[in-house]
Amino acid sequence: MEDNSNPVYKDQRHGQSKELLYSYDKDGQFQRTVGFHGEPDRIILQQAWDHFNERIEDARQRVIAGKASPIVYYMEKFLADPLNLSMMAGISIWRVKWHMRPGVFKRLNEKTLKKYADAFNISIEQLKKVD
Amino acid sequence: MVKLEFEHRQAGHCESGVTRNLLNYHNFSISEPMAFGIGAGLFFSYLPFLKMQHAPTTSFRVWPGEVFDRATRELGVKTAIHKFRNPKDSMDKLNEVLEKGFPVGLQVGTYHLPFFPPEYRMHYNMHNMIAYGHDNGTYFISDTLMENLVEITYEDLIRVRFAKGAFAPQGRMYYPTFVPKNIDIKPAIIKGIRKTAYNMTGIPFPLIGAKGIRYLSGRMRKWEKKLGPEKASYYLGQVLRMEEEVGTAGAGFRFIYGAFLDEASTVLNQPWLKDISVEMGENANKWREFSYLGSRNCKKRGKPDQSYDFLADMLLDVADREEKIFRQLAKIK
Repeated sequence: MEDNSNPVYKDQRHGQSKELLYSYDKDGQFQRTVGFHGEPDRIILQQAWDHFNERIEDARQRVIAGKASPIVYYMEKFLADPLNLSMMAGISIWRVKWHMRPGVFKRLNEKTLKKYADAFNISIEQLKKVD
Repeated sequence: MVKLEFEHRQAGHCESGVTRNLLNYHNFSISEPMAFGIGAGLFFSYLPFLKMQHAPTTSFRVWPGEVFDRATRELGVKTAIHKFRNPKDSMDKLNEVLEKGFPVGLQVGTYHLPFFPPEYRMHYNMHNMIAYGHDNGTYFISDTLMENLVEITYEDLIRVRFAKGAFAPQGRMYYPTFVPKNIDIKPAIIKGIRKTAYNMTGIPFPLIGAKGIRYLSGRMRKWEKKLGPEKASYYLGQVLRMEEEVGTAGAGFRFIYGAFLDEASTVLNQPWLKDISVEMGENANKWREFSYLGSRNCKKRGKPDQSYDFLADMLLDVADREEKIFRQLAKIK
């Protein structure tokens, strides 16, 4: 446990909450302390967020290059996987994967697009392009 | 408008903290490690076929809901558990139970939780918290991860209770309805220890318990060759995240379990448990050391003494320690 002035986090909002931490000291006593996480915990959390941001950026490039449909980008932005997305939109997982092809996505009807737009909480126009 | 007199206390692990706080409301107070130990919360499993956030799942805890179920069953507490298909039904039922004067435990997904620390907002559907009152569309929540009591709106509460994905909570709510006056916790402690010992050493399946730790260590040696340095480091990070974060209070619950054994030795008056709790504490410190060196590796400062082989050897050491501890604990009377 240490103070909150650790530069590991890139997002300012991270690492602001105090938590209950257990530890075992040399005298053979189990200690309960309220405090901030130590450096190792911060490194691995930041690693996860770096990984997510990388995936989002990668998906965006693929959509712009015409290799994937915008669904892939919004899915990554929601930190979701195809299983999450299929449950959120109410579409079977195989169809979700099928809709990730740009050619298939262009032919989708309004009803299906609406389901995806509702799942991501955006409008249909926004769904058709990436920001 | 209902607002029950509820004593909020922070906890290391969400579910045992919720169990402890709910029982405490009904004038039966045990510590959080006690609730965790009686509920047999300690576990290890490595499931490479189940991907979570694009990496294999390592679990240091039992199935969600197990701790509350087991702890209340062993203590003879009567409970009610509901699951719903329709969000509106679930909120009506929640209001009804709150108005009867019972605080309610809720299983929720963390991605949409507004008061949650932003760094934890990933799709994780096994979080637990307590609702203790509502007023005109605002719900009063006691979340054991947070320092203070918090509030949440009606719409947000529906969204988190019906979060989607693996282990979807489906609006699961649970609460004790009747707590007997004089509870003898001794047999419950013994049963809890036996169950944990069985989980860690007795299950004949290579991915679970001490065998699972060995299996993980074997896999870890091959990661760098098989997946490349980047993905290997992410996989290692995933093991550490499961071990240190997501409400484990550090070292994959080993600290909490050690505290439980320490307390159990006093309650049961069996001094040998005290010795085992010391071993457990040292074992937990080994896990901590493992995550410390592992995180150095994740930060790409990997020196030879932080290579995957070295970390795998540490895991083998830990597995031997745990096997020894739980073989002894299995003989408890």
